[in-house]
Amino acid sequence: MKFSRLIIQILLVIAVITSIVLSFFIWTNTARYQRGRNIDVTSTQSNKNEVPINQVISATSVIWHDGQDQKLIYNSNDNIALSIQKIMQDWKIDSPKLVSKKDGAYYQKVIQSRDVIQLVYPTSVSTSILGYLLNNNSLRNDKSYSFNRILINLKDKKDNNIYLANDSNYAVYKAPVRNATSKPISKLIKKSNINLKIRLNIMKHGVFTFYTEPIKLKSYSYVVSSKDDGEYTTALFDSNTNGLVTSEDNGVYTYNYGESKRLVSDHNSGKLSFEDYTDTSVPKTQLAFLQRGYQKVVNLQNSISNLRLYSSNWKEKNLVFREYVEGFPIFKKSEFGSIKIKFSRKGSTEHFLNKVLEVPVPSDQASTKLKSTSDIFKGLEKSGYSPNDVQDIEVGYQWESEADNEKVVDLKPTYYIKIENHWKPYSDWANETAEDE
Amino acid sequence: MDFRRIEAIFLIVFFSLDIFLFLSFRNSQQLVSSSSTNTSTVTEMRKRNISFGTLDTKNGSAYYLGSQPDNSLAQNVNKLRNQEVQYDETSRKLTSSLNSTIAVTTGDRQKVMDKFIKKDSNVLFGSDYKYAPQLSTTSQMVYVGTSKLGEIYDKTCQLTFTIESGRVVSYTQTHVKSMIILHESQTIKSEKEVITNLYANSEIPNNSRISYANLAYTKLLVAKNSTIYIPVWFVTIRNKDSKVSSIKKVNAFTGNIIKNSANGDNGYNAQ
Repeated sequence: MKFSRLIIQILLVIAVITSIVLSFFIWTNTARYQRGRNIDVTSTQSNKNEVPINQVISATSVIWHDGQDQKLIYNSNDNIALSIQKIMQDWKIDSPKLVSKKDGAYYQKVIQSRDVIQLVYPTSVSTSILGYLLNNNSLRNDKSYSFNRILINLKDKKDNNIYLANDSNYAVYKAPVRNATSKPISKLIKKSNINLKIRLNIMKHGVFTFYTEPIKLKSYSYVVSSKDDGEYTTALFDSNTNGLVTSEDNGVYTYNYGESKRLVSDHNSGKLSFEDYTDTSVPKTQLAFLQRGYQKVVNLQNSISNLRLYSSNWKEKNLVFREYVEGFPIFKKSEFGSIKIKFSRKGSTEHFLNKVLEVPVPSDQASTKLKSTSDIFKGLEKSGYSPNDVQDIEVGYQWESEADNEKVVDLKPTYYIKIENHWKPYSDWANETAEDE
Repeated sequence: MDFRRIEAIFLIVFFSLDIFLFLSFRNSQQLVSSSSTNTSTVTEMRKRNISFGTLDTKNGSAYYLGSQPDNSLAQNVNKLRNQEVQYDETSRKLTSSLNSTIAVTTGDRQKVMDKFIKKDSNVLFGSDYKYAPQLSTTSQMVYVGTSKLGEIYDKTCQLTFTIESGRVVSYTQTHVKSMIILHESQTIKSEKEVITNLYANSEIPNNSRISYANLAYTKLLVAKNSTIYIPVWFVTIRNKDSKVSSIKKVNAFTGNIIKNSANGDNGYNAQ
């Protein structure tokens, strides 16, 4: 009698202990469990020879303050921003906290601080996106903040933080970092082979990068690739091309797939647009917004290693991607960069260009010397545009196709200026060249 | 309700909880293992009697390289001694027949020729080349060009000796003086990715051996008078029955298999 009771009690104790042990395993295993699911998703992507999402969404310029001057740095053999991103994947970054907001004077001081390297994104991203790109689950699931600059102090040993800064509201966040050293980053800085003196100025429409001296930039040439309309229709209409209706008008080809999808290809300008009326769900989080945009980009073009996220407008659900060369954006003859994607309840729209940079070839053109940014502003003022009219200014590469060789395109540097919501090269606004004589 | 009853109920409840927890734990484990499909491809290949060493899973990085046409061979041709030399201007290829042929055996030919090319009066820029057994046959010894950035497996930078009845009688040579980096480094496919991809595309027959997997630069195209090189994985597959070797080429940037076109030139397809 008593013996059987003892057995029951022992069994009960064993059962309780087992349940505790098992729950412990499951709890500690969740991270692995989740990661396993992520790998499932990414492995199907890598099979398709794709450029990873953390290359498409990455910082495009790196600014280093060496104690005396602030410089835009670049290494034409090895992308510094991507290398730093890789280093940061091993860091333990804790949840960011607000330091200050809407204080322009403090903000200017922060983004001009000494011994600080900053990674600048062309558009604001959120901390949850950064967490996703760095494979950092705690940052990904924490409360999310928007920012477009990451600042890391390399000399101050007491400051174990990275700072995130947002140009649009002058917000500065502080995130404690563990498990990080500055040595590998200092090494990357030493290897840079492009150093341009700059000054970050706060203007009416945001923070502008001023090149304080005339800058000398190389020209580049690329072999471009393009696809036939048929390749786009198979990719975009889910391979079933039986119910396709085609019409042509003055070189503008329209392909309709029932009432649900339409591709318009303008053979004169090389611009295409695609509308999908079945894609009516609007992304609910910023991360899903970018992930879906990335998937669409991958589906459109084969060679996207030069493509970067250029602007994301969460309110209007707009994404713009642009091709970059050596850290500078390329401006083609379009209003939308390289690819523009819009999500809405009525369906999604994609605007894109047929020609894509593919293989770099040695350029036979000499380097170009551009004027300093303040000289550019002076020139604009002479033509009747005050500094407050300038919504954005950037050094970018102009897409010049060679008359005798359609397959090769030349990229020449110049200043691009956005006034009245239009990006145009400096020569179009000011009637004079941006080159320094 | 007495205390013993409660104990019994608790026992049943906890046991069922244990079973549930155990099952969900097993489930999560299975999910993790299902993601690593690459390992299973490797075991599948072993089952089909395809032998190979351990495959490197590390993704390296490589460049787009460019070279300008150079006449370094033509300029230095008068340094060569004891041979009759012809130089083709268009293909920039030097053809030479040796006045005194060199006796070699299959065993010592690498040693003999390595020594031969070291001397400037025998072969120009000989130290820039390295013997590549996987590209050579019994009647041909192929030396490939080397540079700081890697080896070049291409007809535009190669040294080939012709062997007739045990004697080296002549050679042809092409040379690239310097390579320039055209674009920042890009990640490339790992050895394992390339070989599992070849297998998945039925490019590796059963009962064969992967004897070499080399990463080297090869000519992609000529544009604006410059030659552009890209990194390519050269995988040598030897059939165990017929003892015939074949070389498969895979674009290391994209992972695409490069099919040889009829004229022997690289049929390039970037996708």
